[in-house]
Amino acid sequence: MKRLVILAACVLASFGVFGEQIVIKYAHWNALPEDPFNYVKAFETLYPQYKIDFTLIAEAEYPATLRQMAATDTLPDVLCLWEHDIVEFAKAGYVIPLDKYLSQSKFLNIDDFIPATKELMEMQGGLYGLPWCYATHVLYYNKDLFDKKGIPYPNENWTWDDFVKAARALTDPAAGIYGCDAIVFHGIWWDLIGTFGDPIIDEQGRFAIGGGAEKLLTELYQLTQEGVIAKPATLAMGAAAVDLFAAGKAAMKFDGSWMTTQYKDITAFAWDIAPTPTVDGRRYVHLHTGFFAINAKSKVKDAAWKFIEFCLSHFGQTLIVRGETIFSSRASLASHGEGIYGIKGPTNWAAVPVQVENGHWGYLLFPSTVWMDAVNDFYAVMLGNLSPATAVCRAIDRAKDILGADKVAPYAPCP
Amino acid sequence: MPRRRANLIAYLFLLPWIIGLVAFVGGPIIAILPLSFTSWNLLGSPRWIGLRNYVEMFSGRGDFWPIVFNTLKYAIAGVFVSVTWSLFIALLLNRRVPGAGLAASLCFAPAVVPYIAMAFALQLLLRADLGVINYWLKCVGIQHPPDWLMDPDVVLWTLAAVTIYTYYTGQMMLIFDAALKQVPKELYEVASLDGASSLTIFRHITLPMISPILLFNVVIGFLNTLNMSFTIIYPLTAGGPGKASTVLSVDIYNNAFKGFRIGYACAEAVILFVLCALSTLFIFWLSKRRVYYEA
Repeated sequence: MKRLVILAACVLASFGVFGEQIVIKYAHWNALPEDPFNYVKAFETLYPQYKIDFTLIAEAEYPATLRQMAATDTLPDVLCLWEHDIVEFAKAGYVIPLDKYLSQSKFLNIDDFIPATKELMEMQGGLYGLPWCYATHVLYYNKDLFDKKGIPYPNENWTWDDFVKAARALTDPAAGIYGCDAIVFHGIWWDLIGTFGDPIIDEQGRFAIGGGAEKLLTELYQLTQEGVIAKPATLAMGAAAVDLFAAGKAAMKFDGSWMTTQYKDITAFAWDIAPTPTVDGRRYVHLHTGFFAINAKSKVKDAAWKFIEFCLSHFGQTLIVRGETIFSSRASLASHGEGIYGIKGPTNWAAVPVQVENGHWGYLLFPSTVWMDAVNDFYAVMLGNLSPATAVCRAIDRAKDILGADKVAPYAPCP
Repeated sequence: MPRRRANLIAYLFLLPWIIGLVAFVGGPIIAILPLSFTSWNLLGSPRWIGLRNYVEMFSGRGDFWPIVFNTLKYAIAGVFVSVTWSLFIALLLNRRVPGAGLAASLCFAPAVVPYIAMAFALQLLLRADLGVINYWLKCVGIQHPPDWLMDPDVVLWTLAAVTIYTYYTGQMMLIFDAALKQVPKELYEVASLDGASSLTIFRHITLPMISPILLFNVVIGFLNTLNMSFTIIYPLTAGGPGKASTVLSVDIYNNAFKGFRIGYACAEAVILFVLCALSTLFIFWLSKRRVYYEA
């Protein structure tokens, strides 16, 4: 009997029942969602031989902290890298290519991911990360104000001229209502610059703005002077103290899709979302994501891939999308923030796939000092303190200082 | 106890603080100088580039010179505002005016509020179209009040005025209060008997008698304004609009932790250190004829 028990224990040990758990270190800028959407807990339940050692890093310090960890050799096994960071980390050899793992996966396929993933892969000459989900930008609109003026709601066929016409018609200075709120989120500037015709990042990977940016700034300045678009207010670390759209004082607003989690509690008016307008048939939209990547010095690379594969599985993506209120990066799973149907909006989630079709990483692939300073100058243009041409030339000069002149496409009017 | 042994025990008690100072303050400060000659984005090793960071700075690219002038303007205006305000409140306290204690407490209270919370409150107060201050100004007939935080001609002076809410202004008030209490009352009595006005008494008795403390507060205020400017400016304006309110400390933060240009940020930090040192030396030189030390 004793021999039988010892034999059974040996057999069970060989199956890892009494074996040590493999610990996978994982860091993220979001806290893990509450049950039942806690994808880490779900992974550990499904695969008890693995244990996730989770580290929450404050979003404001996320890229800096990851770089400090890289410098001190304390990077986690699974990283979730932002767009510019995946480029830099891959270049510096801190993350491994995932091509081999992906080719061996039974259910993951590069063609199933949002198109921008392949775009980045081609740029980098290899697949170093897979997007964990994505968020994008949309046009928010106040349905009650549109109904009051008898203006049809924005739709995917809206052009910039339609937007301007509606914004002018919706502006009501006596009631203190603007046609559109000021641009608050920096990504919107780059969406519109791309929509107005600039590539932002060209085929050679160079920072490329020029005529499109100048035209956009000129148009927006004119609309701001007319009082159709609200003047920009001070931005403390990117946040505006007053949200005119939420206050019902702006009929439209360009902002990130994540704002639906804040606006879902609006009760004063009905609202919805729409795709951003086009210019000459062109719509340029930025996507925001984090890329799952594997630390090149990880001792548990296979286990790290197992976790990433789980997160990108149907089950994992459902948990992440519902827990984090974002969209799946896998086209075949296309869930569009189910569960975020607020009291008076949104309903038009069909707007999101339209944005994704035109989705790019664009400005996000450059260091933030390149585009953040440019955005500050764009606000100065809106206030009449700088001309559009000067702001564009300053942005190009700054990019040359930071990236090197060979990494910036020339723009003839700028010396 | 033998003296040597007593000294050794004293140093042993100081050792934890010394280790902390060397490891977390001294070491990083010393490391800044060699790093300022490198190009480094925290990935891989720093790459030696010699004086290129300094050449880029002094050649005027990256808006370096406007940022330095912003820094000096903000520091001088901020010190003037904070020293004047804290001295004024301290004088009120010493005159035993009814309600002076309450006024002083109310003036000191914002000094203990976290700067982030203060920044958001100030944004609401100072907003051009919806702010409370501009509303009051319009009520008294000023129809086009300034855009306090988005007008590049006004924003730095607004930020300098906001320094009255900082912790070190509250500290200055307490220090001035203590200094004013040390001024011999007989001097005031004699001056009053001779028919001196309040302004004359303040100019010829109060100021000279508290001049060492005034010098101390000006120097500390200047250093605090130069070094602590980030904690006020970044939450409030993030250096905008454009670069109108960008000072060296904000630019160092942006270059180091947003742009990951560690070498360039270290070069700016060296310049900030030199500015602090030169400013302090200048203030001491200026004060040689103005500060009265009792024999």
